[in-house]
Amino acid sequence: MIFQLINFETIILIIVLTILLLLLTTYSELKRKPRKPEYETKEILECTKCRHRVLEDFEPGDFISMYKNKCPKCGGLMKVKAIYCIEKTLKY
Amino acid sequence: MNSSDWSSLFFQIFWIIFFIMILTGANQRIQMKLWSLDVRNKLRVMRRYIDEDNKRIENYLRNLGVENPQFLIRRLANYFIIEPVSIEPTDIIKRLDHLIRNEETSVRKIVSQYLPNIGEYERSLVETSLVILGVLEQVYKIVQHYLIVSEKENNWILLMQLVLVMPQILKYVEIYHNALDPFLTGKPIGDTIGPYIAFKFIENSDVVSQKVIEDTCVLETRFENRRLFIIKAKGPGSNVGKPGKVLADLIENLKGNVDLVITVDAALKLESERVGEIAEGIGAAIGDPGPEKIAIERATSKYNIPLKAIVVKIGLEDAITTMKKEVYEACERAYEYIRRVILETTPPNSTVILAGIGNTIGVS
Repeated sequence: MIFQLINFETIILIIVLTILLLLLTTYSELKRKPRKPEYETKEILECTKCRHRVLEDFEPGDFISMYKNKCPKCGGLMKVKAIYCIEKTLKY
Repeated sequence: MNSSDWSSLFFQIFWIIFFIMILTGANQRIQMKLWSLDVRNKLRVMRRYIDEDNKRIENYLRNLGVENPQFLIRRLANYFIIEPVSIEPTDIIKRLDHLIRNEETSVRKIVSQYLPNIGEYERSLVETSLVILGVLEQVYKIVQHYLIVSEKENNWILLMQLVLVMPQILKYVEIYHNALDPFLTGKPIGDTIGPYIAFKFIENSDVVSQKVIEDTCVLETRFENRRLFIIKAKGPGSNVGKPGKVLADLIENLKGNVDLVITVDAALKLESERVGEIAEGIGAAIGDPGPEKIAIERATSKYNIPLKAIVVKIGLEDAITTMKKEVYEACERAYEYIRRVILETTPPNSTVILAGIGNTIGVS
């Protein structure tokens, strides 16, 4: 009989191999999941006089067309031109 | 017993258990337990998101001066609207419009009662944040309902369907959870594409006059030797305005003397499409439940005015979370695209209406 051909050591080996296979599948599944990117929000400020642009961190309550800060070059008023988020790991 | 006797015994017991399980249906019950465990784990993740968002809104309301924020949160997170009778379609748009307006004014009134001293901007952020929380609560309750029903009635087909659809539901829940941040801080979202492009046109044209009707700005401008009317929701709060009704009224006021109507909006992309793709077509690009869209269609068809739609393709995640750089760059390209369309399709001194559709959060 086939059962008599399979000894105790073979059963242990089958169980160990099955566990290994399960671990490998779980690992590859986890590895397949893409990393969730983290974002940070930036805003572009543009001088209303000399058009000089500055990239700054967004502050809650800021909005596009809001006048904020003074131009580091000419001292003119700066206006928020754009607000967007970028991936933290990316260079901008 | 030697080792081969042990293995023989092992296999015999294994087969006996296997057949008993098949005959009594115990294997199915084990499978159901595993499925229900899977759904419960995902529900736990959803509950965590809801509790986090609840806490954030509660703190935000406390900072604005609400003494008992939980009462306001519970009251508005469970707020609902009953759809009008559709078996008798006469006047359905009018009835739907009435219900939508009623809901908006009621919610506004409730928020104003609790927060009498805050501005329009903060009030709009509170309203939208509570709507997001309401959506999350609703999804959670529905999933939990189906899980309990399937367990109670031993309905493994229902449970299996729930297990299969759970990853997608969880994805949507995550998107809504992430959407709370821009609505509590006032950042532009992907859906702001339409109002942002309208704003770009306002900045690059000479404004002749402007007025605000029903939370919607209407500006008459001169743009490249053309009379350009620009319609967008009033910002910078979370607001979509009433662009359809305002556009229809404007066409009536101009007695139909309009050469072109352009609606610009964000559109959900297919998985195969790139974020930021621009597409042009015919019709009203607006994703409202009906009243606004039909108002545009009726007004333009009454006077036989060409109606163009320009859309920027984005995913659902991009639509309700903070505007990404690639979406912002697409807006810049779309502005140039629409400018070219206006110049190509209308002669100088013609009248054009441009409606920037969407939530104007973060854009004045």
